[in-house]
Amino acid sequence: MFNLRDAGSNFWSKLNRIQRTAFVLVVVAFLFLVPYMDTFGPTSFINTPIASFRDALVYPVGMFVLMALGLNIVVGKSGLLDLGYVAFFAIGAYTGAILSTTTSLNMWEILPIGIALAMLSGFILGLPTLRLRGDYLAIVTLGFGEITRIVVLNSDFTGGTNGVPNIPPPPKVGPVVFDIMNPQNYYYLVVVMILLTIWMIRRLTIRRAGRAWEAIRQDEDVAMLMGVPTLKYKLWSFTIGAAVGGAAGVIFASKVMVIAPGMFDFQVSILILACVVFGGIGNIWGVVLGATLLAYIPERIRFLTDTRQLAFGVVLVVMMNFRPDGLLPRKKREKFTEKKKEIK
Amino acid sequence: MSEKILELRNLTMQFGGVKALDDVSIHVNKGEICALIGPNGAGKTTVFNVVTGVYAATSGDIVFNGSSISGKKRHLITKLGLARTFQNVRLFGDMTALENVITATDVHKKSGLLGGLFGTPRSRREERESKARAHELLAFLGIDHRADQLGKNLPYGDQRRLEIARALGTEPQVLLLDEPAAGFNPAEKVALANDIKKIRDAGYTVLLIEHDMSLIMGISDRVIVLDFGKKIADDIPSKVQNDPKVIEAYLGAPADAS
Repeated sequence: MFNLRDAGSNFWSKLNRIQRTAFVLVVVAFLFLVPYMDTFGPTSFINTPIASFRDALVYPVGMFVLMALGLNIVVGKSGLLDLGYVAFFAIGAYTGAILSTTTSLNMWEILPIGIALAMLSGFILGLPTLRLRGDYLAIVTLGFGEITRIVVLNSDFTGGTNGVPNIPPPPKVGPVVFDIMNPQNYYYLVVVMILLTIWMIRRLTIRRAGRAWEAIRQDEDVAMLMGVPTLKYKLWSFTIGAAVGGAAGVIFASKVMVIAPGMFDFQVSILILACVVFGGIGNIWGVVLGATLLAYIPERIRFLTDTRQLAFGVVLVVMMNFRPDGLLPRKKREKFTEKKKEIK
Repeated sequence: MSEKILELRNLTMQFGGVKALDDVSIHVNKGEICALIGPNGAGKTTVFNVVTGVYAATSGDIVFNGSSISGKKRHLITKLGLARTFQNVRLFGDMTALENVITATDVHKKSGLLGGLFGTPRSRREERESKARAHELLAFLGIDHRADQLGKNLPYGDQRRLEIARALGTEPQVLLLDEPAAGFNPAEKVALANDIKKIRDAGYTVLLIEHDMSLIMGISDRVIVLDFGKKIADDIPSKVQNDPKVIEAYLGAPADAS
């Protein structure tokens, strides 16, 4: 069967430096033009009926990609099943909402605070629970996700069921204005965050942290006996994943301007996890592709109204039958060298 | 008398009503190949598990290089200089042979996650050094041509060699080998015996669990025999071979005894 992932990495490895730079520039240009594709004739099929295309690019598409990348660090890289990832998104969003409505801090100043709080909560959750394995960890994280939502729903400082209204948008950066009239600028912001996250994950996975996570995922006992401080690296994985979720939350709050507890229910955690599994657990590009499709398809078929969820479910089931390892499966990382052919 | 590098003092390991190790006191001298033998269920692998921190001993003490390591965390024990292989091969199957070894060399690195993220000079230097060291160790065991293949795709013999290379990657002072010859044919056993001698000559101390008597008698400096969690012999190979208690443990007592 044709392997898109191998084809991609072969293509990339054959390019020289100049060609690679050119390729990256083309991709960046494409990403820049995406918000305008809905009004450009030949590509106008991409437009989402009912929902505004540019708004859909930010949420759900951009946000899902960002969160799926964050969750992929936890589930894909280090093999820790987290079913309550939405909690970090909620913590980021509520930090952004509460601080920007009650203090004079703007969104850019709140962003690092939101990330730090999400990381802190990831650390506090992880420290006692990361001693658990597999299913047990999944149950505890599921509980954490629900507890976060219920606390938010029942507390006064979070506005209870009403949530937090009137969240100010981020102040403009140079000529780039963030307001309802310019949703594409939020899209660019999310793209920048996604590229930063991808850069971070790639840097981490080729070095010590990536090997430690990989070893933990494959055989935690042996990893420990080979000197990997497993609890430390599992905590890192958890807190870095939480940081990405928190960042997504802060940006989300400043974009939608009103947040309520209903936006952070269990279904979001499961959808993000579905993005990771659908795209190819452990593979960054697979996760990006999976999240893009799973966020975009429901918006594209919104005109189906009643049967929309059914159609979406059918797409999921059919796809997982054809590609059980996801669209772009995890890198196998074997180099087929001349030496190997000679031996076998 | 040579220096004791690893010593088990009155070690007892109890699982419910079963005493896997019963007041065992054994030691390993620096620079020797010490074999640990005994019938099935004698407690050999339990010794490895207690020493490397997988189990916490019920009572007794483990002394490594003069200080107690009882109750220490597993990765810290490895860092101090004790590394092991496994009875059933337990490689990181989805990593290449080279990455398997590099993962083990990470234990002595000073740069951590943040160093890697920002690509500090120290982190980059350490990455280079450990890659070179990993190739060295693979070559030492004669499997450097497998460096870029996945652990799970290696032939069985090379998987066992890779496990030893990975354990050596942690720069241990004492290498614990748990049945390294299991499943080997006679020719491979001879090659393995030479490898173990080479490892000893390179300055490592080796503690070896093995069932193959000719291998053990050929390379060991000393043999410790366990039976039902108790030490029944501890001597040079030729004496252990003729020890009536050892023969009884393996073959049973003569029918006319008692």
